[in-house]
Amino acid sequence: MRITAASSVLLLLCLAIPHAVAQDQLPGSPDNGVQQGSDHIEHDPRTMSGMQFDQTGMVMNANATELPRDCDEIAASHEFTVTVGRRWAEQFPGTVFGMSEHEFRVEPCSLVTVTLVNEDEVRHQWMLHGLPRYLYPQGMFHLEAAGGETRSGTFIVPSDNQTYLVHCDMTQHMEKGMKAQLVVGSGSGDLWSIPGISRDFRDSRQVTMLDLFLVTSMAVMSFLVVVFLGRSQPGA
Amino acid sequence: MNSRTTGLLVAGLQLVIASVITVLLVPDHWYSDAIRIRMARWLGTPAYQQPVDTQAGFTRDGSAPLQASAEAVQSAPAAELCPPDPGNSRQALQIEGVPVRESLACRADNPHAVAAFVRGTNNVSRETLLAAGLTPDAVTKGADLDGDGDPDVIHLRLEVVELNGGSPDTDEPVTSFEVAPGVTPGLWAFAPKSFGMATVNFESNQAKDLLRAPSPTIRVEQGDRIQITLENTHYLGHTIHFHGVDHAFLDAAGEGNDGVPVTSELPLEPGNARTYELQPRQPGTMFYHCHVQVQVHVMMGLQGMFVVEENRPDNWLQTLNIGGGHVRAPSVTSLETYDEEYDLHFSDLDTGLNNRIQLSNNVDEIERQVNRAYNITASTSDYYLLNGRAFPLTFQESLVIVEPNQLVKLRVLNGGSVGLAFHTHGHKTTATHYDGVALQPAARVTRDVFWLASAQRADLELDTTNDGLHAFGSGVWLLHDHQERGVTNNGLGPGGNLGAVVYREFLGDDGWPQTSGENLAQYFQADYYRRQTTGEQRGTSLSTGLFLRLLVLGVAIGALAASLMSLFRLLSGRQATPGNR
Repeated sequence: MRITAASSVLLLLCLAIPHAVAQDQLPGSPDNGVQQGSDHIEHDPRTMSGMQFDQTGMVMNANATELPRDCDEIAASHEFTVTVGRRWAEQFPGTVFGMSEHEFRVEPCSLVTVTLVNEDEVRHQWMLHGLPRYLYPQGMFHLEAAGGETRSGTFIVPSDNQTYLVHCDMTQHMEKGMKAQLVVGSGSGDLWSIPGISRDFRDSRQVTMLDLFLVTSMAVMSFLVVVFLGRSQPGA
Repeated sequence: MNSRTTGLLVAGLQLVIASVITVLLVPDHWYSDAIRIRMARWLGTPAYQQPVDTQAGFTRDGSAPLQASAEAVQSAPAAELCPPDPGNSRQALQIEGVPVRESLACRADNPHAVAAFVRGTNNVSRETLLAAGLTPDAVTKGADLDGDGDPDVIHLRLEVVELNGGSPDTDEPVTSFEVAPGVTPGLWAFAPKSFGMATVNFESNQAKDLLRAPSPTIRVEQGDRIQITLENTHYLGHTIHFHGVDHAFLDAAGEGNDGVPVTSELPLEPGNARTYELQPRQPGTMFYHCHVQVQVHVMMGLQGMFVVEENRPDNWLQTLNIGGGHVRAPSVTSLETYDEEYDLHFSDLDTGLNNRIQLSNNVDEIERQVNRAYNITASTSDYYLLNGRAFPLTFQESLVIVEPNQLVKLRVLNGGSVGLAFHTHGHKTTATHYDGVALQPAARVTRDVFWLASAQRADLELDTTNDGLHAFGSGVWLLHDHQERGVTNNGLGPGGNLGAVVYREFLGDDGWPQTSGENLAQYFQADYYRRQTTGEQRGTSLSTGLFLRLLVLGVAIGALAASLMSLFRLLSGRQATPGNR
């Protein structure tokens, strides 16, 4: 029992640390510019009870009952099934890992149930960031399914119009295709670099000498043409 | 409204329109990150775009083709893997009373030449010589000095050939010898004295099988009285230095016999012949090479293995071994212990040197190019060869073909300019000799990587007993230099000195190993090693949309500048239209 608890704590630490670093670096992410403090989570009873964890995967911070402070009641219920696996990446050239949905739209104060179906033979995650910390430790809701497994979890979103980042946090999985967004109400604008939704922030294409040469030469030409036309029409 | 006001209005309108067009057309990625984030908040995050830079043809890592092109490669003719063998030269044959062993890689060495090298070209029929392509004095075998039933007076005649050389008539390298598909670096090699054309036939530019890299392995018996006549058929001076092979510094006539211009004798001029004399007292795997401007001549390919076998009765040796390395007529000594024997000659070359001989047809200029202009200390090798070829051609010739529970002798020579980390997959071989000297039993190390410095030799025992130490069982097990550059062709893998230990049950009827990995046909496409892909190159292409956008942007900026100038002139009161002047 003690070993299980210790390993859970270790796991939570491992999950928390990269996020403290990574989240603020995402351009346009809802938490942009907000520094995360270090949370004392070692003996948080809710963390322990809110987590299901075995070899088929993990559900962290599931919450189907406690309302956010700014919600009077559950406004709506939504169920999403997200299938993840390599075949879903084929429609987005340049990516390798894929998910069947890249955008989830719900009303404020909705009860959201997500079922993560993993078609690959390796782990994948459906991780949501930016939820209120008083209800969700580290501000996140996290599903993880081992290869070939399916896991479900439920959470309740607050009342703000907000766009939340959804992703798989295994190294490079988000970057190579597993990035999505949860839009609550009217949202707060699309996140960048979501396959099928928004453009990559860091365009792989650089400004080349050819570009500059093209623009400059055309500019010189048109400048001369316009000046020449102006001179040849004395009335203008 | 006077003309000045009209002019101002026109110029102002032009300014506004040009500015708007300019702002709209500046590509998003030209702005700074901070501005892009702010713009996205005001105007919305830009919508998803399919990347235009996805490569087709070969995959991102280049190892295997994408699915679509994989199908295209699959449909490539399988004959490319193994050329046909109309003469059935791969099977076991009895020629001139010489049992020539079967040699099952898809290109086997010419069995008639093997028989002639065993009997001596002076002792075989005219038909055999014609089939071998050798002159009657190429390898003559004479008296049996010790009366043990085999000839001990041996006289070889070696010529110097140039492969993939220059021509005043064509840009194509002449007397072509591919080291890899489409790769024809200039090469020099010693070759046995042959007759007739240098190419396989009148129409072809392809060198005949006796003319190739590496220079042949020479095999003689301990105590033999050997004469090696170098007939310099090349346009530059050459010598032969017998590295590690017992020989006197001066020959019987008092002439230089060491082959070293600095200390022994002048290079042999083109068109001249010189005879070296040897009577080696000790056996072992040695080395021979030209010693003229060694940084050029050795690297051009004038290097070969020299094997001195122990003296045994009735020990008729295959005096020259040309081709894939399999000894089709092994010595008595070898058969006492081993089931098969292979000569594995590793080398490397720098096309920055080798291709210089193709630049000009003027000998003075070629000599200046290779001996003066080329600087080996400022260069690196780009092709790594096993028996004169790089992968995938090594898989046609230089396979070590074995069966379980065999002992196979591998003679390994590193003739290259860099070290060789000789590695066998699935096996740990045992060193019995280093540089031709037998190791004491306690010093016989068993390992899976042997380091061979330049010019070093190792005799290795490959034991195919599946005991988890010496061998892990049947399969197609690679054999290669484990310095990773050694398994590339000009830095592109797979290539280089990649060979394989192939068990009979994994060998197809045509001699191609039955592999279960990638489709190897793709590596026979010369385009692969030219780094060519069928799709657009990543990051360097300019899409049509962006091209037009940049054109219009340029026009708008020019118009903007022109309108600014015209406004400035109008406002400063000067007449912008000097046409009235």
